[in-house]
Amino acid sequence: MLKVLDFFNYARSKSPWIVHFCSGCCSLEMLAAMGPRYDWERYGYIMTPTPRQADIIFITGLVSKKILPALLRTYEQMPEPRYVVAIGACAYDGGPYNDSPSVIKNMTEILPADVFVAGCPPKPEAIVAGLEELKEKIKRGEPSASSQGGLWKQMKF
Amino acid sequence: MEKIKEILNRFDMEYVEDYKPTWVKAKLKNKNDLLDVVKALKEVGVASCSTVSPTDFPEENRMEINYFLEDIENKKNVWLKVDIDRDLEKCEIDSITPVLESADYHELESYSTFGVKFKGHPNLRYFLISADYYGKFPFRKDFDWEEHEKQLIENVNTISDEFFEEYEENEETMGHEDSRTVLHWGPTHPASGPIRLKVYVNGENIEKVEPDIGYVWRALEKLSERKDFIGTIVAVERICFMDNTNPMICYAQAVEEIAGKEITPFAKYMRVILGELGRTVSHLISMGGFFGTMGLQTFLMWCLDVREYFLDVLEDYSGARIATACIEPGGVRYPLNDYKVWFEEINKAIEKWESVKPDIEDIFMKNPLMVTRAKDTGVFTKEDVVDNYLAGPIARASNVKVDVRLDEPYAGYADLEMDYVTCESGDARDRLFIIYKEINQSIDLIKQAMKKIEEGIEAGEMDPKKDHMVKMPRRMPEGEAVSRVEWARGEMLMHLVTMPKSTNPYRLKIKAPSVNHTRILEKLIPGHTLSDIPLLYGSMHICQGDLDR
Repeated sequence: MLKVLDFFNYARSKSPWIVHFCSGCCSLEMLAAMGPRYDWERYGYIMTPTPRQADIIFITGLVSKKILPALLRTYEQMPEPRYVVAIGACAYDGGPYNDSPSVIKNMTEILPADVFVAGCPPKPEAIVAGLEELKEKIKRGEPSASSQGGLWKQMKF
Repeated sequence: MEKIKEILNRFDMEYVEDYKPTWVKAKLKNKNDLLDVVKALKEVGVASCSTVSPTDFPEENRMEINYFLEDIENKKNVWLKVDIDRDLEKCEIDSITPVLESADYHELESYSTFGVKFKGHPNLRYFLISADYYGKFPFRKDFDWEEHEKQLIENVNTISDEFFEEYEENEETMGHEDSRTVLHWGPTHPASGPIRLKVYVNGENIEKVEPDIGYVWRALEKLSERKDFIGTIVAVERICFMDNTNPMICYAQAVEEIAGKEITPFAKYMRVILGELGRTVSHLISMGGFFGTMGLQTFLMWCLDVREYFLDVLEDYSGARIATACIEPGGVRYPLNDYKVWFEEINKAIEKWESVKPDIEDIFMKNPLMVTRAKDTGVFTKEDVVDNYLAGPIARASNVKVDVRLDEPYAGYADLEMDYVTCESGDARDRLFIIYKEINQSIDLIKQAMKKIEEGIEAGEMDPKKDHMVKMPRRMPEGEAVSRVEWARGEMLMHLVTMPKSTNPYRLKIKAPSVNHTRILEKLIPGHTLSDIPLLYGSMHICQGDLDR
């Protein structure tokens, strides 16, 4: 039985689907990673418009208070196991918007990410490298950080 | 110009004075005159409102409201000021929206952030700010947001509650009879980005559209008050990452005006090059996105490929692909140690563009499917442009000759050869063509500016290693400036206010074109079917970053 599950994880890690959701400016570098020069489809990543078929959700940079319910709702609609990749300084502590009254600064507490890619915005290479790291995690069958806890469970969305 | 002054002098004014060559600046004594002044100005052609910008002075207990009005056809600008009481109960003024439609969203924004009540506004409501700020007016100087931030979870729940209430309300009023319902287009739609269009549909036919914005509201205007003059660049350049350089030029010009500094010719031409690079990069995404929203991803990939070469140029100069921070008050940030190498890189990018240009023209610009769908769809007439203050490429697609680079030349544009790029019919297809034409124009301008720099260096007039910056004072004098640039999506206007010996902006109002372009969706989309939304929305080249700021 264990071996069957291992095989599932192995298969899952080979082609993770990413839900189309952009909450901030870093999505532009995501677009570049999709583009011909960096082309993340070589590694098996593909964008999907619906969260129902997705394995990964990106927190693309800043998360304003208004988009947070939409982000959490999209996350909740994804099937288990679901992983979170946070890219950009804003997704960690608000980054350049740390002084702003409308941007969330503790995104890591609300929806803990499995991989964090630093930069403002991170380069496409870094995003792909971060995703490769996540692949290893999926292959090992580790539970995702966001399923372990986080403030998101206390929020209405 | 004389006519405008004559009209203004008819009213009770504190002063009427010339500002820049095309500007008149005036201050009203009595706020009750405002509507009459605006009506009289409209009769002589000042028929568009660029933006409304309140400035808060708590010590003097007054709120100063700045109206930026414009005569698009004759290139005249009016800067109208009026003082009102700051107390929330008495903080009200006549709305100019019934006279000048284009003021609509700007007044809503001022109401939501500063609490200025606009009497007679057709639909005064909270706008842009998230539900937890309703009734709190976060841009006022005395608003304590640190206290507000402490209840994060409650605040988010308030926002969610608003969504649920709205849902319940829709369920009640619409029911599901007659196949009428409310669809939410965005914020998770692949083509939408962080914006929500509430689409009232009957079957497939759209009856009404209401944009709901504020999903990437970062309160940049408030944020810049907390940073110093150099740090504000970080906030300003993040208005929109697609065209990153032009907002910085706009901001730097405003600071230079207050400090009374003139930049070097070398820095001027560098600004032209960097600005046009930013425009090209942005237009390539706009152009690809237009086809992307129609479902043809191939062209998007082509454009992204070309874009990478232009990003390489920016990376070579500033070290960053997108967030370049390469223009600051006083000039441009970095010297050009080896200008030939950098110019070589630019030429490489231009060559790449030239090499794909014939194919783009043949395959995509004449694409029969695109022509069938986009031709004669969503047409804007000249009147629409003036009434709703559509700017930049959208206006030029409707054959309105407007371009800040020519109307009020800044940086090095005055010495370069250029002309208005326009299209005839103003439909969705022309809004694609104009983008294509503008890329070619930008590249022409880059070539001209490069030549000027080369000539200057050879003649010994410019030193690329030293001339990039003039020294700016650390503390700014008291002052007020308005600066405009032609951004990739249209006119960008910044209104900067400083206090004596200040190290940070007192108030920075940023006017970005996407606000009006989003507003027009209310009129543009109804009457079409659901499948037309991505096409029409894509043709407006809206960026949510500058829509919300």
